[in-house]
Amino acid sequence: MSESNQPTIEICDLHHAYKRQQALRGVSFAVEQGSIHGFVGPNGAGKTTTLKILATLLKPQRGTVRVFGLDVVADYKNVRRKTGFMPDHFSLYRQMTVQEYLDFFGAAYGMDVQERTRVVGDVLALTDMETRRNDLIKGLSRGMQQRISLARVLVHDPALLLLDEPASGLDPRARIELMEIIRELRRMGKTIFISSHILSELAELCDSVTILDRGAVRYSGSMSGLNRRDGEMADYLLTLAEEHPAAEAALRKVSGVIEVTKPAKAPQYRVSFQKKQTDPNLLLRAALDSGAQILGFQEIVRHLNQAFMDLTEPGVPPVMVAAADNTPPAPSVPDSGGPS
Amino acid sequence: MKLPALALFERSLRLETRSALVCWSRTGLLLLILLVLVPIQSLARAGMFGAPGLRFLQEMVWLNLVFITLAGLSYFASAITEEKEEMMLGLLRMTELNSVSILLGKSTSRLVGALLLLLMQVPFVLLAVTLGGVGLLQIAAAYGTLLAYLFLVCNLALLFSVVFRNTTTAATFTLAVLFVFLIGHYWAAGITQYLASSGQINPHRGIWSLLTTLIDLWRQAAPSNRLGVIFQTGFAGPAIGFQVASNLVLGGLLFLLAWLVFDWCIREEKDAAPPRRWLLGRATPRSRIPTRLFGTRAISWKDFTFISGGRWGLLMKFGVVAFVVALCNFMALEFGTGTEITREFEGTLLIWISLATTAVFLALDAGRIFRDEIRWKTLSSLVMLPVSVPELAYRKVAGTLAGTLPLLAGFVLGVLLVPDDVGKFLDDMFSEPVGVGVFIVIILQFILFLHLTAFLSLIIKRGALPLAIAIQYLGGSFFMTFLTILFSAGGSSGPGAICFLTGLICVAMTVVLHRAIGLRLARAAAEE
Repeated sequence: MSESNQPTIEICDLHHAYKRQQALRGVSFAVEQGSIHGFVGPNGAGKTTTLKILATLLKPQRGTVRVFGLDVVADYKNVRRKTGFMPDHFSLYRQMTVQEYLDFFGAAYGMDVQERTRVVGDVLALTDMETRRNDLIKGLSRGMQQRISLARVLVHDPALLLLDEPASGLDPRARIELMEIIRELRRMGKTIFISSHILSELAELCDSVTILDRGAVRYSGSMSGLNRRDGEMADYLLTLAEEHPAAEAALRKVSGVIEVTKPAKAPQYRVSFQKKQTDPNLLLRAALDSGAQILGFQEIVRHLNQAFMDLTEPGVPPVMVAAADNTPPAPSVPDSGGPS
Repeated sequence: MKLPALALFERSLRLETRSALVCWSRTGLLLLILLVLVPIQSLARAGMFGAPGLRFLQEMVWLNLVFITLAGLSYFASAITEEKEEMMLGLLRMTELNSVSILLGKSTSRLVGALLLLLMQVPFVLLAVTLGGVGLLQIAAAYGTLLAYLFLVCNLALLFSVVFRNTTTAATFTLAVLFVFLIGHYWAAGITQYLASSGQINPHRGIWSLLTTLIDLWRQAAPSNRLGVIFQTGFAGPAIGFQVASNLVLGGLLFLLAWLVFDWCIREEKDAAPPRRWLLGRATPRSRIPTRLFGTRAISWKDFTFISGGRWGLLMKFGVVAFVVALCNFMALEFGTGTEITREFEGTLLIWISLATTAVFLALDAGRIFRDEIRWKTLSSLVMLPVSVPELAYRKVAGTLAGTLPLLAGFVLGVLLVPDDVGKFLDDMFSEPVGVGVFIVIILQFILFLHLTAFLSLIIKRGALPLAIAIQYLGGSFFMTFLTILFSAGGSSGPGAICFLTGLICVAMTVVLHRAIGLRLARAAAEE
């Protein structure tokens, strides 16, 4: 695999336990370079453990974890040089000013004064904190402290950012601004691995996502792959002006259609079919030919919220199947059940 | 019917009853009784001293006195400040809890726990009667003294915990007041005598009578003085004397005072982060790390500034040495008999004071160097730097050691003032192998103590330094007694062997703690 195509993060069969509590059970997934990868799961799913292993703060007990092809245990110093980790709490020296804090980390990463001056100016501009550079950190608001945390992570210009709940506790404006900064960072070519509970924002932000539950991966792949049922199946919703049973019969006769169900009392039909054997145009033609008056015909896609609820439902087994898109080993998406 | 004022108190007691730490403390206490009892019994059988019961009681009581004082500096002084530091006091105040219930719940529950620890010793200490040399009355009076002193210490520390913003300040003030309370009456008596002999106070006037009465009451209120009386042969009571009554009354008044100032002191919730001005001065647009300090040296700069106090810290330490030297000179001139201020006197004074203050500041720094990173949750961001955990720790230590430079300068100045005396001291020491051994063992013990303090600060939330002092004192006493018994028949080889073994064990334990600190640091960073 050439370096440019090499995934930024490769995790294979990762296990980790705290005493008797198994936190991670054979976690495997990969993250492409230059993407924003969402990492979601219920509390206690193992997200922070995975993040800490990626950040070299914890050693994996079993399995391999590579960042830019480097082993996080054997080559931890180089991994740290290429990685910026923002934990889910403020890790700030609150007696320092913003300038001193960033200057300290710049110095600790081995930068000379000229370089530090430039870099600190750049990260302050990026996080829109230039006007507060001489303020004491302890006097800043929560949102500003979060920006300073992000600025600290960026000081050594890491290619990979690991962000653990970066938007927690922020007001809506601060959250929106933070998301804008993250988009800007992607435009700068950085890979961003972001753990969050705010699914609506992740859905808008992320190119790909991994859903973790009880230490196992439920899904890993592109956002579009998650939104659809899977690579070979499709679900469409047909909405009629009034009840027309002939339409249902006509749809069932189309080759490749697996199931036609009536999800509501309204004149609507949900059609599940094999994409290889038929296409939506044929279904629409069949419905029109049956004499039905059609108001709408659209693909059913799941929102991340719905996918999350479906995949992390108690009793859903962690079934690992082929990857969606071109991402490495990824688990399957169990039947979604209904439209979002 | 449950009283709302006692709700927090009751909850704290419930938690304390279930706490594993309390169980371990009680187990440790029983072990301590054994550690004290066994050597005394062995030495008494060997005919080294009589009245082993009295000796046993004395050791137990003095140890308790030290422990109570240390508890005042950590366990009791943090009762309210820990809530302030975590900014939880505001939330507590939003409930129906009033100031009395908070004071009872946060402090008195701790007092009850400590009282129980003290009382549970009594059945075991009664063994002293069987060992001989002590009566039941003496045991009752000694433990009465301790209970009253405990009550006083708890409420004194509570008052400072209410008044000050952080535990360090509360503990410092508690220590200062207890120090003055325990031994200040000696100084007061000396100063009064001096004033009378120099004619500045007329011994026949009312002020003299008032001063001497007050100082006498102060002396009687001090537990150290009372214990001296109790341990005298033929002590006939009373079991509850002036010391008990005065300590209880003072303790009660301090609690009342804490209650009165509570609302005023906590009316505004402030950030517990240390004030910047003492460390770095005002922030300016040009505030930055010195040009040459980049790479891992920046870590040393941070600790030099934030742990050791930076430039202000250097000045302050120099000031402490200068103040103590000046005070000693003053005392020697005013109260000394025939003491002259000579070059030798100043040199020796400077050497010893520099060494003592270095030891104190190093011990204080050892308790903070890693603890502060954990407390402010900054360890993970430091550990993410591309350096190993040991390298990070050594850099932090280097920064802290740089803060002791003025003390070292004082030591060097002292040596320069008395080079001949120092040379003679070294000659004397190196002429005897045992002397060298003792010197090395003292240094090794101090290094072990610093490691122990740093390690404890990583595993307990507060009181690492007092606990390290207690462990080192107890462990050292027990070990030395054990070795003395072991080598008592060894003739001239005994002291050398004791030195060698003690040194060896110190090195082994230091290595173990050194490794444990590294592992614990890595773990703490991951746990943040």
